[in-house]
Amino acid sequence: MRLWPRSLAGQMAVLIALALFVAQAVNFGLALRERAEFRLAQATRPVAVRIADAIERETQGVRPIPRDRGRIRRADRDGIPPALPRLPELASELRTQLHEQGVEVGRIDTGVRGWTPADDAVLGRGFPRGNRVRDERDRPAQALLIAIERPGHGWLAVIVPWGENGSMRLFWRLFAQTLILYGIVLLPVLWIARRISRPLRDLTAAAQRFGRGGDAPVAVEVRGPADIAGLVSSFNALQLRVTAMLDEKDRMLGAIGHDLRTPLAALRVRVESVEDDTDRTRMTETIAEMNRTLDDILSLARMGRPSEPLTEVDLAALVDAVVEDFRDLGQDVAFEEAARLRMRLRPSLIRRAIRNLIENAVKYGGGAEVRLVAEERRVAIEVADRGPGIPGERLGDVFEAFTRLETSRNRDTGGIGLGLALARTIVREAGGDVRLANRDGGGLCATIELPR
Amino acid sequence: MSNADTMGDMPHLLLVDDERSIREPLAQYLTKQGFRVTQAADAESARTRLAAYAIDLVILDVMMPGEDGLSLCRHIAATSDTPVILLTAKAEETDRIVGLEMGADDYVVKPFSPRELATRVKVVLRRLTAGGARQHAPESGSYAFAGWVLKTGERALVDREGVSVALSTGEYNLLLALVTRPRQVLTRDQLLDLTQGREAAAFDRAVDNQVSRLRRKIEADAKAPDIIKTVWGGGYTLAAEVTRL
Repeated sequence: MRLWPRSLAGQMAVLIALALFVAQAVNFGLALRERAEFRLAQATRPVAVRIADAIERETQGVRPIPRDRGRIRRADRDGIPPALPRLPELASELRTQLHEQGVEVGRIDTGVRGWTPADDAVLGRGFPRGNRVRDERDRPAQALLIAIERPGHGWLAVIVPWGENGSMRLFWRLFAQTLILYGIVLLPVLWIARRISRPLRDLTAAAQRFGRGGDAPVAVEVRGPADIAGLVSSFNALQLRVTAMLDEKDRMLGAIGHDLRTPLAALRVRVESVEDDTDRTRMTETIAEMNRTLDDILSLARMGRPSEPLTEVDLAALVDAVVEDFRDLGQDVAFEEAARLRMRLRPSLIRRAIRNLIENAVKYGGGAEVRLVAEERRVAIEVADRGPGIPGERLGDVFEAFTRLETSRNRDTGGIGLGLALARTIVREAGGDVRLANRDGGGLCATIELPR
Repeated sequence: MSNADTMGDMPHLLLVDDERSIREPLAQYLTKQGFRVTQAADAESARTRLAAYAIDLVILDVMMPGEDGLSLCRHIAATSDTPVILLTAKAEETDRIVGLEMGADDYVVKPFSPRELATRVKVVLRRLTAGGARQHAPESGSYAFAGWVLKTGERALVDREGVSVALSTGEYNLLLALVTRPRQVLTRDQLLDLTQGREAAAFDRAVDNQVSRLRRKIEADAKAPDIIKTVWGGGYTLAAEVTRL
């Protein structure tokens, strides 16, 4: 839903505004009802007193109720046009009031219609307002007609000025009240929410940065309420601890690398004294492969903290250079030259990822066709071979480090399956992915996809 | 072959490595290759031997307990003209740069081929005797030419817009050879020779092929090259002003 804000401050503000609104609406309803009851009583009592008075005077023979003037007139029947809106609550209230005055009546009918100038005459003797009508503004908005049946004595017709009930005024008052409440409540809420959310936002940014740049982590400024400040400082401490652990890991890997390379180097030197050429070449190759594996393991383990900075690079030239290195070694690797393609990435790592894919293609497919496809939002580097491909259900497995498909595969057809894992880790670090698919007509196509 | 030479004619190498398992067989191999080899197991004894002998070249392990190779390398570069080749266990770019900045002439990454090390020793020594003045760390730093910058540390070629254009190993070696000798005519044989001793891979391919690939990358019009010019009957020359950065 669009209207629902995503930020803490926005959500708090909307929730509180809604809650205030509901509370005010309930308030408004209650006030309206109370006011209506009060007004009913206010409007009815004088009428009832009047009627009781008039009847009493008539029965005592002091003064008969006139037929043609005054607020209370005698009538032969209920003269209220049926089309007018009725006020049944008023009728029953009036009945109660009359009963209290000791007057028992039959049916009571009511009707509300617009005030006409002809009605002005009834205002004559100051009931309920004292003054004569001077202008339209003072004239009541409506006239309330009441017809009361006196059993055996015909009907009484009563005209009472009837104002609009003031609910609009009440509404506006409540509305203004609500606005003021919003101001008073929402401003501090927004303020506190910002106080909470700003450090949280810093924290989020820091957490996203952490481990990406390879730079030393930057401590987040500790601010905001105590709970948030506590969170921030624990995050800073956590950051330091993790960095220390990663440093320790790097140191350890460096030490492992050194400790393994030293005997390898010793071996490599001694191999040179082997007389048999074939033997020596084989041993040399084995040592080289062990060394490559060692390199891969160390790179894979270090991938979380790439030390190489992001650089503006012509990706087409980069792919071309990798391909050229293979061709220099006499490998059958083809690359359709592509137009210059400017990208921001870590060149040696991406070079390595591409190299690993081509290496696999050469190893299993005897050669590779490399294509660079630049689209609007992404770039794909396709490395295709005509080797045996990979059974569909195992396409995902080969990414796992140390996986090779045929357990029987001997040393010279494969490393230990680190190549793909490393390539994928590198490409994912760059925000892309590596996909594998079998080609029509046999062979495998490995695609490096990078966002542009 | 060592019997044929007198001791005085043999280049005298000082091999400094704390690992006996590397040092001893390597010394043996280098001796067989016609060098006189003196060994040292740490920086301190290396200093003593440097003072005692007329050493022509030092082969120096970077990772040693106590004073490490880089520190000793800096000391040697500061106090003498003796060239240094580093043995490093790390293949990472930053380590290469650091080593070269410390005044080393070259480096090999463990595990290295002793044959390659011997070749590099010869290249450095030949450079020293042929060129007269010693060219310190020929491939350190950056070279600017014709709007391009060749960064040796990262082995990257950067264009005017700051975009890095990757080079294959062969292209890089060739361009480095040209850029470090601007306006000199280099024959195909010289170029092959100069690019040797680096990664043993890239040399079977004809120099001409590498040159034409390089031209496509750096020339405005590869058919009418302005930067890498062909010299009739000779070879190639870099016809641009080179500034060392």
